[in-house]
Amino acid sequence: MMLSRLSTKLPLAPYCRRQCLSLLVPDVVDQGLRLRSAGARRRSTTGASDFFNPTEEHQQLREMVRSFVENEVDPQALQYNREEKFNAEAFKRLGELGLLGVTVAPQYGGSGMDASAACIVHEELSAADPALCLSYLAHSMLFVNNLEQNGSDEQRSRFLPSACEGSTIAGMCMSEPGAGTDVLGMTTKAVPSPDGLSFKIDGAKMWITNGTTDGLTTGDVFLVYARTGPGRQDISMFIVEKGMPGFELGQKIEGKCGMRASMTAELVFDGVEVGRESLVGDENGAMLCMMRNLEIERVTLAAMGVGIARRCIEAMNTYGKERKAFGSPINSFGQIQKHIADSYAEYMAGKHYLYAVAANLDLSSTGNGLDADGTKLYCTTMAKNVADRAMQVLGGYGYCDEYQIERLWRDAKLLEIGGGTLEAHHKNMVRDLAKNMVTLP
Amino acid sequence: MRVMVGVKRVVDYAVKVRIQPDKAGVELKNVKMSMNPFCENAMEEAVKLKETKAASEVIAVSIGPKAAKDTLRTALAMGADRGVHVMTDDAVRTDQGLEPLAVAGLLKKVVEEQKVDLVLLGKQSIDGDCSQTGPMLAGMLGWPQATFAAKVTVVEAGKQLEVERETDTGTQVLSVPLPAVVTADLRLNEPRYATLPNIMKAKKKTVDVLTAADMGVDLKPRTTVIEVVPPPVRQGGVIVESVDELIDKLKTEAGVLQ
Repeated sequence: MMLSRLSTKLPLAPYCRRQCLSLLVPDVVDQGLRLRSAGARRRSTTGASDFFNPTEEHQQLREMVRSFVENEVDPQALQYNREEKFNAEAFKRLGELGLLGVTVAPQYGGSGMDASAACIVHEELSAADPALCLSYLAHSMLFVNNLEQNGSDEQRSRFLPSACEGSTIAGMCMSEPGAGTDVLGMTTKAVPSPDGLSFKIDGAKMWITNGTTDGLTTGDVFLVYARTGPGRQDISMFIVEKGMPGFELGQKIEGKCGMRASMTAELVFDGVEVGRESLVGDENGAMLCMMRNLEIERVTLAAMGVGIARRCIEAMNTYGKERKAFGSPINSFGQIQKHIADSYAEYMAGKHYLYAVAANLDLSSTGNGLDADGTKLYCTTMAKNVADRAMQVLGGYGYCDEYQIERLWRDAKLLEIGGGTLEAHHKNMVRDLAKNMVTLP
Repeated sequence: MRVMVGVKRVVDYAVKVRIQPDKAGVELKNVKMSMNPFCENAMEEAVKLKETKAASEVIAVSIGPKAAKDTLRTALAMGADRGVHVMTDDAVRTDQGLEPLAVAGLLKKVVEEQKVDLVLLGKQSIDGDCSQTGPMLAGMLGWPQATFAAKVTVVEAGKQLEVERETDTGTQVLSVPLPAVVTADLRLNEPRYATLPNIMKAKKKTVDVLTAADMGVDLKPRTTVIEVVPPPVRQGGVIVESVDELIDKLKTEAGVLQ
């Protein structure tokens, strides 16, 4: 099993302004690299369903999120990422739009949609601000969807409405300072009390996205995996809330290469006592919870890669048409053509793989492991390569944060590490292929 | 109070339109289509009336080919209770082949059938830009009208509105007895996003489909589009060094001074 993951959170700040660099840059660069932002209006309505939007509702969802992203997410991304701050207001807006509980049943405050819908939201958010999207993922997939799939009715009723609304910001704790891809090597333990009514949790969890939002205290609520027995697979999952005695912020992780507007922390559990009602699923039964949730985690991380790639290709395409060198637009040169065309083909390949897998992903079961790993393996490296080509095509403009490619380039790298390293995907996939596959589809 | 809102499917406001090679109109193929922005304002206002309980029901109406259903779905997701789709022939362009007179005639039929107290429309659609449908509909119905609304206040539900409307010289406040036709300007409100739960709920709402050709309304256009051409490309200007140079250019190049 794999997984290491980042977590994150952010405070707020004003919207970004374009500064010095824009004076030096021709209009074409500016237009090409920014999302359309024709005023503050929202847009609506287009065509029917297609492969990437399995139903009309998916289509409407994509348009709503894209419109929101153009008007409200894109304008704030530069500043929050520069300042390494979590934009709590933007996050709250995701709740108002019904996106935080995308896969949760309406009775618990969710929107009752599926894996394809989750991919659409991640793709669209990530095209503008992968860091905000990562915080969204940690909250909505790793906590909210995880509890929706694995929790009891009581647990869902208690925690999901506030999480879907965005009044709590949540995350999940799996990786440890000394255990990432080797997740079963975790040493955080939960020891039952003699009467069996409670557990005492001791240990530390690392790379926790949304582990803090203010840099001073922990996030609001977490699903925490801990060892509850001597067997290697004796892992259980618990709900731990901010303010429980012994539950502390170890450190806010500063200076990340990318995903800088998403807060990442180490969380410390020093004899945290939780009641049995905090146990999610069966004692020693968290492997099932983990397996169920890992697939959607990987697929949505792959969707983030697809979003990054799309934005980078749009930038390359626009810039390549407008920018001239030696008297011709640079997209008339074979070297630039290769960057753009290779990127587009890889992007479309990845996107088709992604939405094909998402369409068949049953959130309540396991069994899509091979292709959940496969989409993430492919789409994340694809995104990193496409971002790199975009930077090459845009030259100096690509290298500066004012024009976004630089940020997407840094953000893309995380996708090869968090939520399952490439090496973890290789290992899992070959295990599954060797076990189950003789002839391929 | 029953409110009816007209919503039109048009080329998205952010699309840079191109002319068809045969100059018959702007290119509609593979172009993003959206709800007309002013119709969004009208829709938003209707939903607000519903939220304040001034309106008991909001009906969204769209006149257009099959694809207009998407626009209706958006209206339903924004908060309309149900939809009416007046289906036109797919071959008819709603941006120029279906004129305000025909649209007003069709809307009149729907108004009469649905027994509405207030019709909210956009002040104009951003394709034809005629700004005639609202006034024509009011005229046909014999109802009062308040165009270019910037603020709508319900004085008494079902009886009386106060509408602040934008004019060239400022705003004008009208006292409007119902039933009436009100057309929305951009500053009336800020349209909401259709939230995901509401998108899902909209799926269960009903849309009645009527056929425009069967409604006893003369749909024939009164005008003929001869050709559509793009505006001339603006030439870059020059910066002159002095007043003397300017005067010289006005004399010798522009020929506007003797």
